[in-house]
Amino acid sequence: MNTDKVIACLKEMGFKPKISKFDDKIVIQKLVYLLQLKGIKLGFDYGLYVRGPYSPGLTKEIYLKKGDFEQLRTKEKLSPKEAEAVQETKAIFGEKPALLEVAATYAYFAYEQKRDAISAYKAVKRLKPFFSAVQIAIGVNKAKELLYRPTQEELEMLRKELAPWQAAAEEDMRFLK
Amino acid sequence: MDSDFLSLIEESKGLNSDVFSLIRLQLLANLAVTGPDGATYRELKAWLELSDGALYSNLGVLKKMGYVKSEEVKIGDKSLTSYQLTREGMGEWHKVNNWLRQFLECGGRK
Repeated sequence: MNTDKVIACLKEMGFKPKISKFDDKIVIQKLVYLLQLKGIKLGFDYGLYVRGPYSPGLTKEIYLKKGDFEQLRTKEKLSPKEAEAVQETKAIFGEKPALLEVAATYAYFAYEQKRDAISAYKAVKRLKPFFSAVQIAIGVNKAKELLYRPTQEELEMLRKELAPWQAAAEEDMRFLK
Repeated sequence: MDSDFLSLIEESKGLNSDVFSLIRLQLLANLAVTGPDGATYRELKAWLELSDGALYSNLGVLKKMGYVKSEEVKIGDKSLTSYQLTREGMGEWHKVNNWLRQFLECGGRK
């Protein structure tokens, strides 16, 4: 578990949490989950519990290192690639707990359990019926925006579709030389 | 096997039999995971698929036994009730959890 790196991520986001606030702890839990799915190695184990994807280990660290979290004290530095992933996540979600909660729950089913989109969506609705249909739709779309990776098949289709354009561009380049 | 079972019976005398209902065990198990963060009423209701009556009355029993406490929390602009296990609740859950594991091991042997 790299708690220092979690704090570095929060620092990169400019998010200074107050650990007594319920909202802020939701933001940390769900952000860490999504950042891990995005490829940042933070080392926290997550399971699906009553709160959605949740890491009891992270909760322990948050309470143990409350001061470090609240003051954003860390010795860890993010790589440019990691900082970019954090900035992208910030641009998509901000610090909105409801959106993060829906997105993280959808991500658990769609990207971790690898369920199809409809089944993942239904599972979110079953676990989070207290969110409006609009909140769920936005949260799901934002999770897709953050985590969607085209399959090899889709990349191949895209390559074929763009092949004539690519050839034309190359032809133009030759002509310009 | 017999002596194991006898010691299990002896150990069970130290447990609070009032927590041995499916809903109460599910509540204790789930709240034990979230520790000091607890879980809101709406999360518990959705997760366990319970009616308001069943959830409210069982939380009430656990509160009365001193195993669960509640507090008001803010999520966005909403004020919600969050439930956490007390130290006693966590202790009881650990006892019950250990006992159930032993019980299953004992019953599972041929």
